[in-house]
Amino acid sequence: MIGVIHVLAKRELVRFFRQPHRVVGSLAQPLIFWVLLGSGFGASFRAPTMTDVSYMEYFYPGILMMLMLFSSIFSTITLIEDRNQGLLQEVLVAPVPRIAIVLGKVSGAMSVAMLQCLVLLAAAPFLGFQPGFLGGLLLLLGLILSSLGFTALGFLIAWRMESTAGYHAVMSIFLMPMWLLSGAIFPLENLPTWLWSVMIINPATHALKLVRMPLYEEPMTLLSDSTFLVSLGVALFWAIACLWLAMKRVERADCGAPLTQGVE
Amino acid sequence: MIVVENVSHRYPGNRKTPGRTALRSVDLSLESGSFFMLTGPNGGGKSTLFKILCGIQRPSEGRIFIDGQDALASPDTIRRSIGVVFQHPALDKHLTVHENLAIHAGLYGIPKTELDARIKDSLSWTGLEERLDETVESLSGGLARQVELVKVLLHRPKILLMDEPSTGLDPGSRRAFRKTVNQIRLDMGITVLMTSHIFSEAEHADRVAIIKDGKLLANDHPDTLRASIGSEMVIISTDDMDAVEQTLAHHTEISVQRHTDHLRITGGNVVHILEDVLEKHRSRIRQLAIKRPTLEDVYVRITGRTLQETEENAQLEKTS
Repeated sequence: MIGVIHVLAKRELVRFFRQPHRVVGSLAQPLIFWVLLGSGFGASFRAPTMTDVSYMEYFYPGILMMLMLFSSIFSTITLIEDRNQGLLQEVLVAPVPRIAIVLGKVSGAMSVAMLQCLVLLAAAPFLGFQPGFLGGLLLLLGLILSSLGFTALGFLIAWRMESTAGYHAVMSIFLMPMWLLSGAIFPLENLPTWLWSVMIINPATHALKLVRMPLYEEPMTLLSDSTFLVSLGVALFWAIACLWLAMKRVERADCGAPLTQGVE
Repeated sequence: MIVVENVSHRYPGNRKTPGRTALRSVDLSLESGSFFMLTGPNGGGKSTLFKILCGIQRPSEGRIFIDGQDALASPDTIRRSIGVVFQHPALDKHLTVHENLAIHAGLYGIPKTELDARIKDSLSWTGLEERLDETVESLSGGLARQVELVKVLLHRPKILLMDEPSTGLDPGSRRAFRKTVNQIRLDMGITVLMTSHIFSEAEHADRVAIIKDGKLLANDHPDTLRASIGSEMVIISTDDMDAVEQTLAHHTEISVQRHTDHLRITGGNVVHILEDVLEKHRSRIRQLAIKRPTLEDVYVRITGRTLQETEENAQLEKTS
């Protein structure tokens, strides 16, 4: 089973590097976002709670999270064509456990997302972030865990989709609000209660905390900080739940309906 | 040996589309090592039966046995013994030929040390030796099909299932592909089941089955099928179909099928029919032909539609 996961994950990576425009595009987009939005908002927008943080700095974890989120979710778009007229057809008739199909795709996509995040993480020291080795490790763990959950979510939704256009439409309904309401662009403070409740159940909010907190706090304090631990727990639960549902989805072969159903 | 026992399938409906019964109590059996061709109009149940045999769809009712094993109860054992060629190539076109083959090997647990030997073994009949490191994208349709065939044979399946495998191939590649498949079947002793619209592909078939509206309408050796409509048949195109049809109605021993632009007549004494039609309608006849029935004629006789009509029908269904 490990062999199968490895084969499928490797395929994702090879495909990624074989399409240079994808490599460039996926890295340029968040950088452009960060620089333009960061400097634009930074000039005119300053929350009362953000006295000692520049907006560029505040926005940095949000951009990191966005890169992870978008890369994770949109990597599953290939499932749609792959399933009906691509390699996935053969994976489905192969004697492999169905969970290996999910894990292969998800871990491959997660690796691609992590490579992109690492490039952006290289900018961290220039902003004055010094998370240290252990802190960096915690940050990476948070990113990996969140990425697994979001890729599995994308998998779940893409599986039954007929067209990539439909997938784009559905995902933009989910994705943009999820990112906007995560605290990536504005802090989670002094908000109306309804908005605050939406933000607090949003998995992206917790993913963002997992990214932001290791940049500011010592690793040891983090591990005894209940906010961090709760976010870690939510991310873990989210990842396992989405992976499990995705597996169930694949496992359920298209079953025939009872012959009498709906017959007049 | 493959046994399909009383298989029925109904697609569940949803809000937009009502449910649809695609297979109705289909029984089939395929001898090991035989070549079986499944044909019929689109939407007739061909693809559904194919998907069920591949194990990517579970029938509403019925059972399938492959070499005595219940295919629906133990799908993994069955998956190991089948090789599937899909209508749309199941290859990653961004990857090289070798990379695609390696993925297949990985999925079927073929050790890396054995992979290259197996690839080498199976390349002899292909034009791929020099192109293992090229991406699939850069290959012609015919070569890509060869990759696919090499790929599904890597794990030495006992049964080869192919869904319209010659789609998109030019006649030359199609012939080459057909020849190769038959050679492989004889060499390796594997059972081949293929769906197709192209009747010339049935030349090596041991059995041809026609499926329409979810029912198996015919299932026999091509010669037997051809013989079933006699040794000769008549095709008449005319400006006045009604008049000619009326004349023909006097011949009770024949059967007449009316199509968009011609009448097809089987049975009876050909000379008598011709004399009668020519005597009464000579000026209205555009074309008149006597021919030995082909498999395509058997198909038209059984399904009531010519291939062209079948296709037009499919187009209509797509647009509506």
